[in-house]
Amino acid sequence: MATPRTHPKVRPYVLTGGRTVTRHRLLVHTLVTVPYYDPGLAAAMLPEARTLYEQARDGCSVAELSALSGLSLGVTRVIVSDLAAAQRVRVHAETYGSPFDRRLLERVRDGLRALA
Amino acid sequence: MPHILIVGAGQSGLQLGLNLLAAGMDVTIMSARTPEEIRGGSPTSTQCMFQPALQIERDLGLNFWEEQCPKLTAQRYNLGLPPDGYPDARQTTGEAAPPWLRTEVTPFTRAIRFTGPWEHYTQSVDQRIKMSSWLAEFENRGGTVIYQGVMTSDLDSLTALGRYDLTIVAAGKGELVGLFDRDASRSPYDRPQRALSCIYTRGMTFDPEYQDWAVSFANIAGVGEFFNMPGLTVDGDGMQPCNILLFAGFPEGPLGFHAWRERLSPTEHLDRIVRAMREYVPWEADLAGDIEITDPRPSLIGGYTPTVRHPIGHLPSGGLVLGMGDVVVANDPITGQGANNAAHSAHIYARHIIDNADGRYDEAWMQATFDDYWNYAKHPTVFTNAMLGQEPPEHVGRILAAAQAGHEAGKPVIAARIAYGYTTPSDLGWMLDPDEANKYLAEVAPEFATPAPANP
Ligand SMILES: Cc1cc2nc3c(=O)[nH]c(=O)nc-3n(C[C@H](O)[C@H](O)[C@H](O)COP(=O)(O)OP(=O)(O)OC[C@H]3O[C@@H](n4cnc5c(N)ncnc54)[C@H](O)[C@@H]3O)c2cc1C
Repeated sequence: MATPRTHPKVRPYVLTGGRTVTRHRLLVHTLVTVPYYDPGLAAAMLPEARTLYEQARDGCSVAELSALSGLSLGVTRVIVSDLAAAQRVRVHAETYGSPFDRRLLERVRDGLRALA
Repeated sequence: MPHILIVGAGQSGLQLGLNLLAAGMDVTIMSARTPEEIRGGSPTSTQCMFQPALQIERDLGLNFWEEQCPKLTAQRYNLGLPPDGYPDARQTTGEAAPPWLRTEVTPFTRAIRFTGPWEHYTQSVDQRIKMSSWLAEFENRGGTVIYQGVMTSDLDSLTALGRYDLTIVAAGKGELVGLFDRDASRSPYDRPQRALSCIYTRGMTFDPEYQDWAVSFANIAGVGEFFNMPGLTVDGDGMQPCNILLFAGFPEGPLGFHAWRERLSPTEHLDRIVRAMREYVPWEADLAGDIEITDPRPSLIGGYTPTVRHPIGHLPSGGLVLGMGDVVVANDPITGQGANNAAHSAHIYARHIIDNADGRYDEAWMQATFDDYWNYAKHPTVFTNAMLGQEPPEHVGRILAAAQAGHEAGKPVIAARIAYGYTTPSDLGWMLDPDEANKYLAEVAPEFATPAPANP
């Protein structure tokens, strides 16, 4: 068994101002923008959050943010969701559809071994 | 307050998420599917939930379908035998042909039947309804949902970032189980034991002998099991009562994996299920004269290996995740325990998480939390694995005969105890152990308490 590395109990993404009332789904093509860019805030962010915050200044989809930052889609979604909850970024709602690639969905669907 | 991440929006993940939200915690769920996708997809289970699990849901204010969903008041047991008696399973080799590939079809007869009433009813709300509603409810109550089919690499990064104080993997039987090692000492099987073929129907009538909603179950000698589970399912944008039909076939028997290999349209699937019912459970086929499918995606076909896993997953960067529900204890569906287990696991985990809100969710805590759950789960696991044998042990034959005699005499004491055992598997010791069974039978049905003398 691997010895787990201990993580200091840091909170990289402080959630300020409580929860957002309107939640928008972070689909791969959902647009993310920065309503007001604050360089001081950016400097204080952890590297992953800062990268996404800066990339989103130009307005990017979730998929683009993930590709540009080199973070996986899952991690990108978590950090964007935190930044949105803290109102650092805006998530635009006017996109619909499934966030997923059908093939991935089918793989995870229910784990029943499909019959050959 | 700790930040908790739950991967997987099924029975255990959503129930735990909603439970922790109610305790004021900050909870994020990562779900592979949106509520619309869950609702519009294929069924995932027959999901019958017994009283103790339903009560857990009620206490959390989550049994939204209490009144709409059929209340199942009893468990009906049947034993189906071929006309020439009990087959010798060992003598059949290779794959037996399913009914639709044979010209000769001889209906089985019902050798044993009895009805075990439940003191408290059982319900089966289609997980498509339940999980899509619970997921929306979780968001409404302030939970964060991230729609993401999670991969190990995501978990590695998220645990390394330290974003969450605890990550629970409740992703069912999907690929993430690869993070958790199989516990060989608790997993007697290394391949699927039943081929599952399930379809959602409407239009079935009540058994003339029992005019109320009930689970009907059959052991079919040489073939497997059959279930007729009334429940509540989707109906376009609404809901409707249904009968969920499930065959669980012995892998080499006539309803084994080979029987369901073809891709079938829903109506073709229903047609084959009905043909199998006419041969193996003709008393059920008599109730199915006018059945039809409930929705465009009413089928579930497949199989999986019953497995118990070590509960702690180690990620490459050193992060730890704790498994819950089917991830750690996946029982075969023939005893209807999985969703109930999932509810109990979420309930037990919630208590440990809340009790430890000021501490660390370290490896020792994770193991202790799982061990507490295993104290519950070992009972349904041992029971289910015993039931996967293809022929009942001698003493079980006597229990069934005694239960039938009691049923016929209007005193279904044994039948009721069996039905209770499904709801509370820790009570089943008397059935699993021959000595315990003989002791109990000596009390309630002495004429069945000793093995019949062998035929000369
Ligand atoms: C045919 C059949 C009949 C059954 N009948 C019964 C019964 O009558 N009674 C009973 O108690 N149990 C029954 N079960 C078992 C029961 O359905 C399961 O044990 C129960 O649903 C397990 O709950 P869970 O929360 O562990 O996982 P699930 O309910 O399987 O939920 C897991 C969730 O995680 C999601 N997921 C998977 N991978 C990922 C990923 N990588 N990223 C994000 N999300 C992911 C899935 O989409 C799913 O929503 C039956 C099962 C089958 C197959």
